Amino acid sequence: MDLQYASMHHDDIDNSVILCHACDLAVRRRALPSGVRALCPRCHTALYDTPFCSINGMLALCLSAVALFLPANLFPVLELHFLGSVRTATVFQGAMAVMDLGYWVVGIAVLVAAVIGPGLLLLSIMSQILLVKMGLNPGWQRDLYKWLLRRHGLFSQITMLEIYVISFLVSAFQLSDFSDIYFGVGTFSFTMLFLVTLFLQREYNIEHMWSRLND
Amino acid sequence: MTDNVQTTGKEMGQCLCPVCRKTNPVNVTNCSRCGADNQARDYGSLQKSWALLITAAILLIPANVYPITTLVNQGKVTHDTIFSGIKHLVHSDMLPIAIIVFTASILVPWLKIIGLATYLTAISFSLPVSKRRLMAGFHIIEWIGRWSMLDLFVISLTVALVNMGQLLDAKPAPAATAFALVILLTQLAAKVLDTRLLWDRLDLENDKH
Ligand SMILES: [Zn+2]
Ligand SMILES: [Zn+2]
Repeated sequence: MDLQYASMHHDDIDNSVILCHACDLAVRRRALPSGVRALCPRCHTALYDTPFCSINGMLALCLSAVALFLPANLFPVLELHFLGSVRTATVFQGAMAVMDLGYWVVGIAVLVAAVIGPGLLLLSIMSQILLVKMGLNPGWQRDLYKWLLRRHGLFSQITMLEIYVISFLVSAFQLSDFSDIYFGVGTFSFTMLFLVTLFLQREYNIEHMWSRLND
Repeated sequence: MTDNVQTTGKEMGQCLCPVCRKTNPVNVTNCSRCGADNQARDYGSLQKSWALLITAAILLIPANVYPITTLVNQGKVTHDTIFSGIKHLVHSDMLPIAIIVFTASILVPWLKIIGLATYLTAISFSLPVSKRRLMAGFHIIEWIGRWSMLDLFVISLTVALVNMGQLLDAKPAPAATAFALVILLTQLAAKVLDTRLLWDRLDLENDKH
């Protein structure tokens, strides 16, 4: 009897009150107009926004991002013309060039932030969407789904496409001092990959994804 | 603030899962949804965060003192530190680029280390500082921290493009590794810290606004 009361009480708290992850304040959950974010009244940390997380919309964005991922990584992002010779560099070659010279911490950081991170993020969201479409049946589907959601924070934190895009411009301006710099197909694909991933991450709502496990 | 009564999850016997943000009763050991450890507060996080931050602060010295790139231009070798690289940009009339590089490689790392140190000191010694202001600072630190990676991306692209022997050649120099570690360690120091500790330990009278 006691136990039943406790669990009912807990469910009640679960639905109407959320705790701030930064300061632990209990905040009553209210309906929000779309595009508005609820902030903690005590510490102003973002608590939740309207869950706008359409699976088909995300699937479309995810497919475009996957399609852009290969050209973004295979084609040169910068081209340098110097005394008649042409040098090109892909994102991957940039990371390998510093690693070859013994700076493997720098090389790994670049590789993780610009290639591996985005790759894992897209692969993870794609798998999550497919698992939801398959019905999220108890067993391996739910287990894999949980495993991926638990790692989502890490994957999105190590993805730094926006910073890499700015670094094209900085490198181009710096090198234009002694040579001619051209942007290539890779530059375009990489910038598009960044934009599509940005929209995908705005559409994606981790709490909404977790709540799919509740029913 | 509209609500006068402020209840925390701890007082209600509830605790937020750090991984999936489900509310669990404090007496269970694992989150019922994702299985992560259920802890009302992570007291060890303060020590971990201090350790990472101090290591980062020490590495910031070689990162700024030693050269970060070596450039060979027609047989002439120049070593550039983070600061002298920015001075070059200013002298070659690339002020907007200089400002971007200055922000990413000097301003952001220093702000992060000083900011996190202030933050950790305030929690560890219960200093009378406005928590609201500290928390606002912490959000800024979390958000701008990753922009330091800009310098490493620029170095890797430059090194891959500019390798024509004695004529023109760019290579990374020792400060690059130190700088990469500063970025990694400060990101981790902010990440491991349980910010709920700040709101527990400092009392409300410092928060007049
Ligand atoms: Zn809060
Ligand atoms: Zn959980």
